[in-house]
Amino acid sequence: MNAVKQDPSLYKIVVTHYITSSLCFLAVVIMMVFCAEDFSGHYFNPKLLAITHLAALGWGTMIILGASYQLLPVILETKLYSKILAWVSYVFFLPGIFCLVFSFWIFDPGIFMQSGSIFLLLAIVLYAVNVFFTADKGQQDSIAQDFIGTATLWLCFTALLGTLLVFNFQFPFLPKDHLDFLKLHAHMGIAGWFLLMIIGVSAKLLPMFLVSSYQNNQLLNLTYYLLNTALILFLVDTYLYNLNAKTYVIAFVGIAGIVCYLLFVYQCFKFRIRKVMDLPMASTFLSFGLLGIAISIIPFIIYWHLDKNPATIKYSMLYGTLLFMGWICALILNQTFKTLPFIVWVKHYEHLTGKFKTPMPADLVNNSLLKIQAISFVAFCCTFFPGIFFGFTFLIYAGLGALLVTAVMYILNVAGVILHKTRTENYDRI
Amino acid sequence: MIEFDITDKLFFIKTDIVESLRLVIDPELHINIIDMGLVYNVNVDETEGKICIEMTLSSSYCPMGESIVSAVKNCIELHFPGFITEVLLVWDPVWTYDNLSEEGKRLLS
Repeated sequence: MNAVKQDPSLYKIVVTHYITSSLCFLAVVIMMVFCAEDFSGHYFNPKLLAITHLAALGWGTMIILGASYQLLPVILETKLYSKILAWVSYVFFLPGIFCLVFSFWIFDPGIFMQSGSIFLLLAIVLYAVNVFFTADKGQQDSIAQDFIGTATLWLCFTALLGTLLVFNFQFPFLPKDHLDFLKLHAHMGIAGWFLLMIIGVSAKLLPMFLVSSYQNNQLLNLTYYLLNTALILFLVDTYLYNLNAKTYVIAFVGIAGIVCYLLFVYQCFKFRIRKVMDLPMASTFLSFGLLGIAISIIPFIIYWHLDKNPATIKYSMLYGTLLFMGWICALILNQTFKTLPFIVWVKHYEHLTGKFKTPMPADLVNNSLLKIQAISFVAFCCTFFPGIFFGFTFLIYAGLGALLVTAVMYILNVAGVILHKTRTENYDRI
Repeated sequence: MIEFDITDKLFFIKTDIVESLRLVIDPELHINIIDMGLVYNVNVDETEGKICIEMTLSSSYCPMGESIVSAVKNCIELHFPGFITEVLLVWDPVWTYDNLSEEGKRLLS
């Protein structure tokens, strides 16, 4: 058996996704600064819809797609089915995001928004074809593969419903109110796509990065079935009856699934052999805390909704921002520097390693920028989320200022890694 | 930990090979592959000028697997010119954390 070969020709496609995603993150933060006061209002607001879609698609999904082109061959132990499909998907994805986000920002649900949604749907279907054909060639039949495959399916459903909602603005044909479908669309995306995909990838990478001897998949199996059951029940029940007392039970099933995953993370951490954690890994644990806080808000959202109390809007806003700008953001900000340096390192040093002393992948990252990024992100969390909760606009502004610093540090560091110049030292000089 | 029979006439070259392989570092863990316990056996055929390294990886889906294998070949060819290097990846026995040397465990903790 051979070692898994990292395909150097994947470098361009992966790095292109990382660069695009970083720029989208900066754009998200700038857009947030321009409508900071909207975070105290209703979430069904054109500017917030534009920001949410840019964060979910341009920032979160874009980087996951890029990373998955590199990681799928590793996790599934086979070559990526098609690099051309990956490029075509990107070519549809980019104008799709631009059209959709721009038309949400100015709220023009016309041809621009419709073509944007079609481009995105096409891009996502092409990505799904690539994932499923790659999985079909693979030798693995693991829980990670189940998570990734199912997440990809949920992404397709999310994009399909999103497209239908876009067309429904101009040609109303859906049998229910837009807001009712928005809940389903958002949860398919958050729980179905992001959560399952992140769990699937972390199932392989977390034990590897922590050098953990924990090998048991029982908790992950339980997570898989509980999360998918909760999501399907939520979609059917909420479509038929909107939020109701049963939603508590469904939320409990979903939260139980997330708790099982967090227990898996804890077990990996507990049985880790590598005691000293680098900054990206340590900061990643902050993301799990933010996920925990977000899911603990769910019962309150249901309670205030059933009570017809407008507080449900504020709690929903807090829940959504904690998930997107908290959990997913923290995870990406840190895991970028666990994946990107390896991709760049392989390109620069794979043929030289062993002949010369070379830097290690972690040496490609600027640690000072990383520290400022971590501190400013913590400052963002400590001000922005309380700002939303208490309705203090100055705290929201302070948080966004900190997030702007985070974004600038992140982009500088990403650029530094990508523009790295090969440097070696002879062994006899050591 | 890899050990050789001192009565073996190739004992010293095999020991030298192991020592030179300490220059091959796992890119993620920053520990050399000898202390990682990845190298299972070293065979030297002086008449054919061939060195065969029997080794494993921490997992079959190790993203750095190809880099490590490449580094082993480069390292041997640099320190033992005139020898052809072959790296044989084996998965039995599977690498576990017990394979780490005391030094490896110390570096990780």
